[in-house]
Amino acid sequence: MAQSNDYVMERKPKEKKPETPSKIKVSNWRQFKAIIRKDIVMEMRTKEMITSMGLYALLVLVIYYIALSQAGQGFDFTRIAAGLLFLAIIFTSLLGLNRSLVHEQDQGCLEALLLAPIDRPIIFLGKAVGNFIFLCIVEVFIVPIFYFLFLGGGALAQSGPWWMLVVAILVGSVGIAGAGTLMATMSVNTRGKDFILAVMFVPVMFPLLLIIVTAMTSVIVANPGYVASFWQQIAGAVVFDVVMVGVGYVLYDFVLGA
Amino acid sequence: MGKQIKIAITLVIVGGLLTTAAFLMAFYTAEVQTFGFATLNKAVDTVYPLAPANMQPTDGSINYQRPGFAQKIFYFHVPIAEASFLVFTIAGIFAVLFLRKRRKSYDTKSRIAMETALIFVIATMLTGDIWTRASWGVWWEWEPRLTTYLIMMLLMIAYFVLRNSIEDEERRATYSAVFAIVAWIDAPISFFITRLIPSTHPIVFKSGMAPSILIPFIIAQVGMLMIGYAIFVLRVGEEDLRTRLDISKEALEG
Amino acid sequence: MSEEIKQEMAVEVRDLSRTFGARKALNKVSFDLPKGAFLSIFGPNGAGKSTLLRVLSTLTPPASGSQVKVCGLDVVKEDFELRERIGIISHNPLLYPDLSAEENLRFFAELYCLDNPEERIDELLEAVELKHRRMDLARTFSRGMTQRLSIARALLPNPDIIFLDEPYSGLDPHAMDILDSLIDKVREGHTFIMVSHDLQKGLQLCSHALILANGQKVFFDERANINEEEFARLYRETVGMGVS
Repeated sequence: MAQSNDYVMERKPKEKKPETPSKIKVSNWRQFKAIIRKDIVMEMRTKEMITSMGLYALLVLVIYYIALSQAGQGFDFTRIAAGLLFLAIIFTSLLGLNRSLVHEQDQGCLEALLLAPIDRPIIFLGKAVGNFIFLCIVEVFIVPIFYFLFLGGGALAQSGPWWMLVVAILVGSVGIAGAGTLMATMSVNTRGKDFILAVMFVPVMFPLLLIIVTAMTSVIVANPGYVASFWQQIAGAVVFDVVMVGVGYVLYDFVLGA
Repeated sequence: MGKQIKIAITLVIVGGLLTTAAFLMAFYTAEVQTFGFATLNKAVDTVYPLAPANMQPTDGSINYQRPGFAQKIFYFHVPIAEASFLVFTIAGIFAVLFLRKRRKSYDTKSRIAMETALIFVIATMLTGDIWTRASWGVWWEWEPRLTTYLIMMLLMIAYFVLRNSIEDEERRATYSAVFAIVAWIDAPISFFITRLIPSTHPIVFKSGMAPSILIPFIIAQVGMLMIGYAIFVLRVGEEDLRTRLDISKEALEG
Repeated sequence: MSEEIKQEMAVEVRDLSRTFGARKALNKVSFDLPKGAFLSIFGPNGAGKSTLLRVLSTLTPPASGSQVKVCGLDVVKEDFELRERIGIISHNPLLYPDLSAEENLRFFAELYCLDNPEERIDELLEAVELKHRRMDLARTFSRGMTQRLSIARALLPNPDIIFLDEPYSGLDPHAMDILDSLIDKVREGHTFIMVSHDLQKGLQLCSHALILANGQKVFFDERANINEEEFARLYRETVGMGVS
């Protein structure tokens, strides 16, 4: 079309404008994909979130060793393994959630996002799914390391199938990403930032953590009848996830508007 | 304005009298009750005498006769705890109203309700602790009701931490309303958890209560709610005066 | 008749208020701005300039009873449609420093669901003379280049109305000149609303001027009717008012 630099001056002729106010056809799916792709491209470039989260998780595991070093022979580690693992995941995710929203806040990008014709819940879902993906990537690192450091040598020989543990971790991560995205969006606009995020996030997540850790421990210990109780716990956790993501979906609009 | 304060002060006095009446009734007219199921394996519990045979449950657990004195806390602990859930819910309702109407007064009311709820929660924790010490032999037990209730208290504290870290008034109001709603999700969990998960915490209202117990209980409950409402009204009035003072200060300074 | 006015006016503001509790960020502000105009908004800090801009750009809803139409669209009821017609250039770049120039524009093009993003991005990068650096990260750009890129971003959806939120702050004289010439280039066919601290710059560009103080309209008129000295005096008085 135009070769000159002055193209931007040219306006579409008035008649071309449709009668309806909307000039373009908005596709929620396309916007959702764009937000996720942007987050991934940025992360692949800087690797800021994944390295800091991974390193932090590793440090937490090293400190676990100190805590456990005096536990003695008769100590049954399998009963606290799930709890320790989720402790590492929750503190690591705090770091990532904060980072992910600081990116948006830094140069006012969130404002530019809000100025686009985009439904607010799409922004929430985009950010939450992005955070979920990063959390999963970090978990792919930490969980095997945790296994080799603390549960190697047949500690899990009596346990239920490993995929049940994966289900539990995934269900837990959904809740973390959902509620975390909502709260991190608030906390980046406060004076305390990551401290405020921790103060809000830990108690809100408490019921979910308790359920997930109970479910995982029941699989690891594998007492008779553990399958039924596992699915019961997971059902409870899924309800919690749905409530948290639902609340985030509805309330995100207000958070962004402030 | 003045009328409201008069009502509030009346409520404080009436509420105080009712609670005192309930206190006296609890000790003089209410029958001693063996309260709750003692499926605890705490050694200290075994020092309590066994309940009479006709009061033993059939499911294999054993009822102990608790010291009658410790049981009296029931007339205060339970009404305060129930008031705390109610006031927390009111804080949540005002938070929803704020998000819908964006009126500052709703934010103020939500915050004050949250303050009142926090006072009730702390009072519940204190009275509860006295009872757990007397009845279970420990100050604290990580059991579902106590745990979720502690989390509820932490959420309320987080609410105020969040408020204090935001300068902009409108943003502060919006964020705290959003957080109040998220935090409130814990209230039904805490309230119903003793009915869902096996818990050592007694379940009130599962079976009926004798009138001599029910009457002081209801009186105490009404008294507590009156005091709670009065605190709320007085604090709202105070905040109202404070904002008016700020406006006149600003006007004077030009 | 009203139809005709709607065609003409880019911005219609009636009794615009924005209150929270006793604080009035905006108090019954009214004005009309014809299409193709350039409005400069002046006023001390906290006068309500940014709030006005946020209301006009649909980021903040006005108090009930206010009637605000931009491009003939209600900022509350038709905010979604309106956003497609708004571009904003701010002192904040509103760009992701870890994305390249092209990726930044691509991202926003996707948000606006543009039909031919590649073509449009090419055109814009050429227009702001950044084609040679399209693959470089926004983080490596100088202040002036960042500002040029953010202009390209603002023009992506081909907006009808462009908001300028103190676009000159932090720019060196050279970058200012480039920004001037860019604004000049796209001046035709667009309506501009600029918030500025710089009286001279604001007056030089504008066709209409508005002074706000304490959330109220103090002055609104066409540039042609403005006596510069009197305006400067009024400006100084109002700015002094808010500084207390």
